[in-house]
Order: sequence, then structure tokens, then C-alpha cells
Amino acid sequence: MIISWHLLKNFIKLSVTPEEAAERLSLSGAEVEYILRPEAKIKGVSVAHITSLTKHPNKERLFVAELDTGKGKAVCVTAAKNLKDGDKVFYGAPGSTLADGTELETRDFGVVESAGMMLSAAELGLPDVDIVEGILALPESAPIGGDVTTLYGFGDTLLDVSITPNRGDLLSILGMARELHGLFPDSELLPMPWETPRNLSEWPIEFGSISLPDPGCVNYNLGLATDVTIAPSPIDVRVALSHLGMRPISNIVDATNYVMLTLGQPLHAFDLNTLPAPEVTVRSASDGETILTLDGKERTLTSKDMLITSGGVGIGLAGVMGGDKTGIADDTKIVLLEGANFAARRVGHTSRRLGLTSEASFRYTRGVDPSLAESGIDYALHLMRAWSGAKIGYRKKSAVNAAPEPKPVNLTKKKLNTILLWSDMDESAKILEGFGLKRVSQSISSDGPVMSFTPPTWRPDITIEEDLIEEIGRFRGYNDAPDILPGVLPRRADIGVETSLAGALRGVAIARGYVEAITYSFLPERFTEALHLPQSDPRANPITLANPISQDWIAMRTTLIPGLLSGLKESQSSGWRDAVRVFEIGRVFLRDEAAKSGHREEDSIAGLVFGGLDPRTPWKETIDDFLSVKGDVEALLASRGRSASFVVGVQPFGHAGQTANITISIDGEERKIGYLARLSPAVEREMDFAEPVYVFEISLSPLETPKKPVYSPASPFPAIFRDISMLAPAARANDEVIADIKAAVNRSEGTESLLESVRLFDVYGGKGVPEGLRSLAFTVTYRSKEKTLQDKDVDGLHNKARDALTQKGYSMR
Amino acid sequence: MSDNINTTDLKKQVEDLLASFRSSLSSVNNTDALQELRVKTVGKKGALTSLLKSLGATTPSERPAAGEMLNKLRDEIEEELTKKKAALIDAETQAAEATDQVDVTMPARARASGAFHPVAQTMHEIVAIMQGLGYSVALGPEKEEEHYNFDCLNIPSWHPARDMQDTFYFPDGTLLRTHTSPVQIRSMLKYGAPLRVVCPGKVYRRDNDTTHSPMFNQLEGLLLEQDVSFSVLKGSLRELMNGFFGRELKNRFRASYFPFTEPSMELDIECVECGGKNPDCRICKGTGWLEVCGMGMVHPFVVRAGGIDPDKYNGFAFGMGLDRMAMLKYGISDLRYLFNGNVSYFLSGRNA
Repeated sequence: MIISWHLLKNFIKLSVTPEEAAERLSLSGAEVEYILRPEAKIKGVSVAHITSLTKHPNKERLFVAELDTGKGKAVCVTAAKNLKDGDKVFYGAPGSTLADGTELETRDFGVVESAGMMLSAAELGLPDVDIVEGILALPESAPIGGDVTTLYGFGDTLLDVSITPNRGDLLSILGMARELHGLFPDSELLPMPWETPRNLSEWPIEFGSISLPDPGCVNYNLGLATDVTIAPSPIDVRVALSHLGMRPISNIVDATNYVMLTLGQPLHAFDLNTLPAPEVTVRSASDGETILTLDGKERTLTSKDMLITSGGVGIGLAGVMGGDKTGIADDTKIVLLEGANFAARRVGHTSRRLGLTSEASFRYTRGVDPSLAESGIDYALHLMRAWSGAKIGYRKKSAVNAAPEPKPVNLTKKKLNTILLWSDMDESAKILEGFGLKRVSQSISSDGPVMSFTPPTWRPDITIEEDLIEEIGRFRGYNDAPDILPGVLPRRADIGVETSLAGALRGVAIARGYVEAITYSFLPERFTEALHLPQSDPRANPITLANPISQDWIAMRTTLIPGLLSGLKESQSSGWRDAVRVFEIGRVFLRDEAAKSGHREEDSIAGLVFGGLDPRTPWKETIDDFLSVKGDVEALLASRGRSASFVVGVQPFGHAGQTANITISIDGEERKIGYLARLSPAVEREMDFAEPVYVFEISLSPLETPKKPVYSPASPFPAIFRDISMLAPAARANDEVIADIKAAVNRSEGTESLLESVRLFDVYGGKGVPEGLRSLAFTVTYRSKEKTLQDKDVDGLHNKARDALTQKGYSMR
Repeated sequence: MSDNINTTDLKKQVEDLLASFRSSLSSVNNTDALQELRVKTVGKKGALTSLLKSLGATTPSERPAAGEMLNKLRDEIEEELTKKKAALIDAETQAAEATDQVDVTMPARARASGAFHPVAQTMHEIVAIMQGLGYSVALGPEKEEEHYNFDCLNIPSWHPARDMQDTFYFPDGTLLRTHTSPVQIRSMLKYGAPLRVVCPGKVYRRDNDTTHSPMFNQLEGLLLEQDVSFSVLKGSLRELMNGFFGRELKNRFRASYFPFTEPSMELDIECVECGGKNPDCRICKGTGWLEVCGMGMVHPFVVRAGGIDPDKYNGFAFGMGLDRMAMLKYGISDLRYLFNGNVSYFLSGRNA
């Protein structure tokens, strides 16, 4: 909302600068975003009188004007065709500057030198002020030599104010004057700038009734102006409208807009002769009914929209936009002026449903003072008479549905003191009265002093005690209040297991070289295809948005992997060639028929590892593969006291030979909590990844309760180590071979188990090892809890174990 | 050698032996040669050993003096051997180290360390600060019901925020929460008062331009106790801001409006970039202030919707964008870097 300082002075006598007013407004709820002085750069431009206008001696299309500038004579060349002898214009002498900062100089037009320029509205920064193309024509009364920035509102200061949705009353100059009066008690509100009409006469034409079957129309009033001559508005009005962001159109339309901007009351002017019938009805539209609005578009309506009709024909979409056929035209003679009040939520509904916001609907949806409708008509008719010579003074026609009456609101000293730590009731009353509230009573209740206030009709937002306290608080400002810390609660603050778990895991992941990512919760629907998810996979059927911004952001993710993959793509297209290790802790959304909401949200951690586009390195050991990523997963789980098992698994997007399910033991049962996989070569190829991509994803809920470690002291007795080297089928899992070794040792053992551990220290396949086999070498650790073992205690045992393994089919080496 | 040797002869032999030992010792330059000399001198067949054997041939009267002389000789030789050995080991170790050098400027044989996401980091930092002020963390669903997201928050059905233009809806009428405020309602219903929570999380609005992401992160706080003053809100937020940015920042509270708080305010902090000193500052646009947080005293309607009696308990709520906080603290200029999963951006600060 733009406020003109120049127009504001018509409503309030205020002794502060625009900057001071802006600061006070900003701190008290109406944030002034900018202070604008659009004509600040104009210098040295003043009114001049054309004493003679002649054609340029040898340049067709050019004219030579002789000017009386008030300080002397000047000669100017122009191409404009709209001038004549005796006109008054704004003239910039050489050395003066225009709105855009251009400095004027003397220009040679052959034979004639042009000293400076006569100016158009565009050169003064306000192109819409021009009525016809050319030099801006001034009224005859323009004072010769008068500086432009002192005339017609040029040089105005504008405040661009952000108005909160509860303060529809501030969407006008009048409203802002009232607000400033409340904020600056020294100021003085001026009387309204029109006379209350007296000696009213009846309408000279037949007109039927106004009927309001729809209660959403609070009141509806019609004024009349006859003998209208359509013409441009006075220049100061055109300047004001331009400053406030509206385009001047004609005296009648401008009068309605001017009143809307100054009083906040939207008005609509009909050409009476185009009205289908001499009556107006405001009713709910019927479903499917259409109206052609004045922007030339046909609108299809529902029963929730309010329609203004005449003779059964729609002539306006109530509070939003007038109809196409009944507006003001160049030959309009009789103006029917509508000033009405429509319920905010009804206008809001229609405006939003149609995506149609107008100056009127913007105001109605934020609430317009119902008492303004008639004042608005009076003011506009007053202006129409002044600007178009219209005949006015006809009695208004009105119809009213019950309007909400402001109800008194109590202010207790107790609550005032609780919230603001300040409790001067008399001072509070002064503040509230400054904002237009009326004190209606005061008493002492069991809670102490109480005062009751009735808000003015333009403040329907004040309905409860807290609203009164807000008025007092914002007047006083919040910055001088003391800062107090909250007291001690009878229980400790709990950061919550989800947040502390996330904190712990991210610490581990980052320490192991992973970069943390946050990716969008929504994905393109085709992500399921990209991951080769079959229909039977629960992740293949995501919940989708009804109104996505785009098809790329429609499906709620069922896995974190697509976000990480697209991040990898993004990294590569931004030129990143090194390894990528990235993780995300986030939420997935899965359909769940058993849940009340039909879905469940699960938090997971997912990781992605990619060796980089150029994996060359002096340290081969650092190149990531399935097993290095497995180490990361183990570290993540170890931070929660969990050791995982990895068993061969299947993922639709996983490499058939490099996919594992991750399981942990919960209450004695192995539960799958996630997976680790290399992407299948097909997926890698389809996504154009030149090197292997490893991914893992682990549900967080099973990790919420950390498992405490169990400690035991080192054995005081030394261990004996024996190596076992053997050939095993290449496809047999290491875990399985170790289990066989343990079984073989334990089978041949006596009462005390001496086997402490079996550790793989070498694995080899290839040259020297028969096809289908691999060579594995283990260290078996024997230790007794009771004595120092001797070689003889172990040798027999170990040899029997070797025999047992040979019998099992292993080839011992 | 005669059966009887006298001390004078012995003394001569001792001097000769010591001189010959020392001459040999001085030419020894490695531990192997030293070992050889040791054997030659004090070994079973060594010169000193045979001299010691000759002690038996001395007369009883001379024996003590001869014994003392030979013992002294042995001690001297042993000591010099030990010293020489230590010196040789030192020299050999030094020589070995000199030939076993690592180029300390070679790249480490390990992964580069990872990096945090500034928004997640910000969330954890602020949660920790607020925990210190007694605020627990509350979380809730991201797919939410209109009831919790709007109705309970005094946002009526005709309010513009509920428009399809602004909010993501699902076909079943549920929506992606537009703020974390529904978690406040759920917390009130679950825990009652007194209550002190912060609610961090992802929220969604139907906006997508250079300054708006359709998904962003918020942290809201709620305190409901008895007779709560606005001043406690001021104190809490001062600590939050100063704690998060790590220094005392000027702040100012401006009146504002939110449907769910009354009175409502907004908090501006001193520009963390220029402190209000740069009229061309791209962060504060020369105003010296940064708008960081909306807040207010919880509207009685909302307290009631949370199942708590507003005549008994009152309090305040506040909300801020974690993305904005992160961008301010970590100097991130473009929102679009935050959610595209591009590691290069988060690693780019490494060499700065």
C-alpha cells in the first residue's frame, strides 16, 4: 500500500517528517518498506508560457516555441503536436535535470538553437499523467515560473507500507491518518474534505428497488450524478493516482478510484443508460452462471459467489469486478454510483477461486468499514461535480442487511500487567482513545480495575482483551520492556530420541568422510521406474500431491536414494570430478492401509558412495568398494551399540552379486533394518554413472534405543595362535566358512571351550588356485580362562579340527 | 712367562693392554666391529681374560694390589665399550632415519573428512541452546490434517493461506504442513501445561522462486505457563540469537500480526554481515536490520484448541526459518544450493 504524504496532509495535521512517521509505523505494526521520492532528481523545472509557436524554418515536423519563463525569454524546439499559442507547460532550462537524472542542455537544430526542453509527463517520471501524447499541458491557472516540485503533487514523498491482513482499515489515506493520529497524540485529524449534502432532491428518473437476498451484502447504496461530461481529471488528481499506482482514466472513473484510495471504500460507477432494468439485486450466483467481467473475460460462477444483477442480468461480481457492458463510456451522461459493503470471506472466496485480485477485492477481503459506503458516495459525487460539472444532490437509495455492531471489550489491569509488565490504566485509556476506541465503562472487579472500550467501526479486528493489550503494547513499543529468562521447570528438558539419534549418526557419518545432504521430500513419479521398482514393492506406489508445482515434485519419496542420486548428478554437472560420499537423514512416506491416515512416515539414514570420475590415486587402498562402505555402515551401527549381520539380499536396483540385507538382533530375533548395495550395472548405465555407485539405507526407529556395551577384563593367560590356510568354494560366504571352522574346533573339544576367535587374514583367488575355489587363511586364537596353554594342549585339538574341515570338503593347505 | 710375576711387570702389561684396546676402539665404526673387539678383549680367550688368569701367579702379598689393578682395568674397558656401543647405536639409528624419510606433503592415505549441512547444523545448534533454557524437542507428521495445520491455529477456512495456491494438498484433503505449528497443538494436547517445546522440521508451501523453496525448514517454540509476560519471550529470543550467532546482537521488536498470536511481533537483529555500517550491504539492504523471527503471545483460541484453559495458562510462541538462520550464519547467498544434494557446494568452504 502506497501512502502519499501530500494527500495525507488533507486528513491530518502532523508535525513529524516522513522518516519519523515511517519509523514509528514500522515499529508499531505497519512496516514501511520504502520511502520513495520519485521526482527527487528533478531540478530547475518550472512553469513557462508559450508566447509564440511557429513551424521550424527548414525542418518539417518541428516547431519553435518562444517562452516566457517568468525569469526571461527562452526559445525551444519541439516535435510535439499538441501545443498552441498561449499554452502553459513545464520547461527545463539548460542545466536542469529530469526525473531520470538526465541533464538538459542547449541543442542545435540548425538555424535555431533550442535552450532546454518543454517536458512531457514521462520526462517528469509519470507517463500516465499525460492525456495526449506530447508535452504535458498545464491548466491556465498555472503560475509562470512556479517550480514543478511545488505544484500538483509533483515532488511528493510516498511511503510503501506493508499492511498486515487484520488491518484492512489501513488500506487508505484516511486509515493511515487515523493510525498516525493514534501514534502521534500531538497531531490533529482534519474534517472530511467534502460538505455533507443538504436539500436533497428525488431522482429525476424512474428507479425501482435495491434488494439484497444474499446476507453477504452488508449494505448497498446508490448515488446519482446527472449532466455528466466525461473528460480527463485535473492534473493534481492524475499525479496523485499515478503516484499511488493507478492509471488515470476519466474524471468519473478517477473519482471512484480516488475515493477508494483516500477513504478505503471501493466504488463502482455504472452508466445508468446501460443498466438492463431500473433495479439492482445482490444475490448468490447459481452454479454454472456466467458473467463477462470488464477485463473482457467470461467467469463461471458457483453458488458461493455473490452477483450483482439488474433485470436478472449480471452487472458485477460483488466486491471483485464490474461487468463489461455497464461501465462508464465516453458518452456517459448519467452515472449510477454504487457504494456497498460485502462480507470479507465471501469476496475472498470468489477472488481466490477465480485467481482474480482487484483493488476492490483486496480491500474487501481485509475488511472495509461498513459505515464508509455512504460517505464514499458523498465524497465521490462531490468530486464528480468539481471535475465534470455533474449535477448532484439527489437522495441516495440504500438497502441494508444486519451489519455487525462493534461490541465492548474489557481491559483488566491484571492481564495488562501480566503481559506487558506495565499497568497504567489511565494512560492505557488515552492510548486506546487515540486509536479511536471509546471508553464505555470502568469498574473494580474481583481481579482489580476493569475498563470497557468499544472499538470504532473500522476496527473489527479488536474483539478480545488481548487485542486491546496489543494496541497498548504497540503504542508503547516492545523494546523498553525488560528481558526475562524463563524460570526453572520441575523436569529437565528432553531433546528427544529422534533428534539425539540424528545428531549421533551425523557425527559418525561426517567423521567417516560423508557430506550431509537435505533433498526434497517430493520426487517425479517416474522415480519408481528409474529404480526398477516392481509394482509389488511398497516403495513403488507413492502418495502423490493433488496440486504439485510441477510434475518433477509430485510424489512423496518412499526412499531417500533418488534424492542422493540426483544430487550426485547435480554435483557432476557442476564440474565435480572427485569422489562423492553423501548421506541424508530424512523422512519417507509409505502407504499404510492399517494407519488411520492411510500412510506412515519413517525416518531413515541413507548414504551414497561414488568413486569419482577420475579414481586414480597413489593409494589404491583408499578406493571405495562394497566392503569399505560396509565398514561405514558398521561404524554407524556401532555408535548405537549394534553389530549388524550382512546377508545376501535383493534390491530391484541392486547389483545381483553385491547386495546385502542388513540385520540386527532385536530381542533375540534378527530383524532387517536396511540394505547395502551397489547399483545394478543396468541402473548405473541408465543413469550414466561411469563408475560404481554404492548405496545404503537404514531405518532409524530400530536404532532409537542404544544397546549398552558389555565390558570384560583381558584374560591373564596368554593365547596360542594357529593359522589355517585352505581352499574353499569361491561362492561360499566367509561367515559360513568361519562357522565351519568354529564347529570343527568345538566338535573336537573337551569340557572347556578354548576357541576364542577366528580371524581372516588373507584371501586369494586366481593364478594357482583352481577355478571355482578361493584360498582363505585364518588365525585361530586359543585361550583358556584357567591356565597358561601349552602347545601340547592345542596341537591335538587343532589337528582334529583340520581333519574335520577336510572331511567337510575343504582342501587344507 | 715366569711362575711369579711382580707388580711392576703386571702394571706394564696392563698399560700395554689398555693402550692397545683404546687404539682398536678408536678405529671401531660399527656395532659389529665393536662386538669383535669386545670378544678379543673381554671374551673367554680375550687379552684381559688371560691377564686375569695370571693373577693366580702373583705372590699372596702382591695379590690384593694386583687384583685391584686388574679389576680397575676391567671396569674401565667395560665402561668404554658400553659408551662406544651407545654412541654407535645412536649414529646408526640416525643414519637409518636419514635414509627412511617420508614426504610429509604427500596426500593423506585416507578419505577427506565429510561436511555438515548448514541447515541441519543450525537445527542442532538452536535445539541445544533452547534445551539449556528448558525447552524440549517435539516432532510431528509432515503430512498433516487441516484441523491441526489451520483450524486449531485460528486460521479460518476462508483465510488466504488455505488456498490451493499456497498449500500442497493430497487427494484425501490432507496437506503438507505449512508450518511446524501443528506440532505445537499436538504437544499441547499430549502434554498439557506447563509446557516448553521447540518444534523443528520440514515445512512446505507452494512457492518456488529465488527466495522461496517449496520445501524449507522451520523451528518454532512454545511456552505455556502461568502469568507469562512478553518479557520472557524477549529473554528467550535474546539468548537464542546471541547463542546462535555467538555474540551480543542488537535487537528490536516490531509489532506485527499472526492469526495465532495476540499481541504479535517480529524480531529484527542487527545485521550480522555489516552491523548496520554498510549502506550498500547486500544482506540487510542497508537497513542495518535483519528480520529473523515472528512471534507473539499465544492467542486464547489456540490455547483452547490445544485443550488448555487460557484463563489458567498463557504464554508465547515464536517461529523462524532455519534455512534463513543458516544462510545468515554461514554466509550462504542462494537458497537453491541447500536442497539439491550437490556436495561440491558444501565442500567448497574447505580452502576458504
